Amino acid sequence: MDALHNTHAKLLAFDFVSLTPTASDPTAFHRKGKLLLTRAETVGVITTRELKPNKFLKFAVDDGTGCIPCVLWLNHLTSPYFSRRSPPDVRRIADVAARFASQIQLGVVARVRGRITAYRGSVQITVSDVIVERDPNVEMLHWLDCIKLARKCYGALNLSPHDQNRLS
Amino acid sequence: MASSVINAGALVTLQELNSASPHFKQGASLRVTGKLQEYSFENAVALIVDGNATLKIDTQHLNINLRVGSIYQFIGELLIQPNNEVILKARVGRNVDGIDLNLYHQSLKLLREFISDQISNTP
Repeated sequence: MDALHNTHAKLLAFDFVSLTPTASDPTAFHRKGKLLLTRAETVGVITTRELKPNKFLKFAVDDGTGCIPCVLWLNHLTSPYFSRRSPPDVRRIADVAARFASQIQLGVVARVRGRITAYRGSVQITVSDVIVERDPNVEMLHWLDCIKLARKCYGALNLSPHDQNRLS
Repeated sequence: MASSVINAGALVTLQELNSASPHFKQGASLRVTGKLQEYSFENAVALIVDGNATLKIDTQHLNINLRVGSIYQFIGELLIQPNNEVILKARVGRNVDGIDLNLYHQSLKLLREFISDQISNTP
């Protein structure tokens, strides 16, 4: 198996916050100095929420092992980044993001997926997907998934020569 | 764009939360789970129970409906009052009716073993 590019790695918060950026690729992060990751998935309780309307929603996911800072961008209709895309597409993306923002409320349990990014020396998730979880057992199943994947998969990957070069 | 720093609620069971526990300290951020045994509308204090252990929860900052007999999970900070009474000042809370408490306790044990393993194997 290769490094996990474009796979949402299920990580516990204490593991996520120890990811470190790579020198050569701003989109990739090391786990324990070995595995390269670009995307992550977390499940936990929303414990902080700070909304800047039409700009972003910052929030934290507490999974019991730590807190993962997350940012959900809400500036699609004004950002130059989206100006070359078709307006109906941009409107749809903005609507989805606004719906996610309304679902992220203090105390709910959410599954959050997105890109791993760095901001002011910390790692965070730049959110692409939010699912509000209603089953009270889902957090435990996520813990068990994370444990199994860390032991059987993330800790046992063999890097390709290309990825070894990226890490060096 | 990192959120302002806030402590995670350490996962503890009510049975573990006694004066010998490392979590039993003023201001500790905890996540606790238990069945609602009593609720006082006057001061918004709930009493939750798990087995033979109980804990008071200050729910004044929460906006949830509490129903005696249901199971709740709260995250907040522990306050040890001068008279040694202990209360958790909840930041968030939710109904977890349907939670499998046996699975919860077993998963928590595995989670702690895993974290301890990972920390001791950190290069």
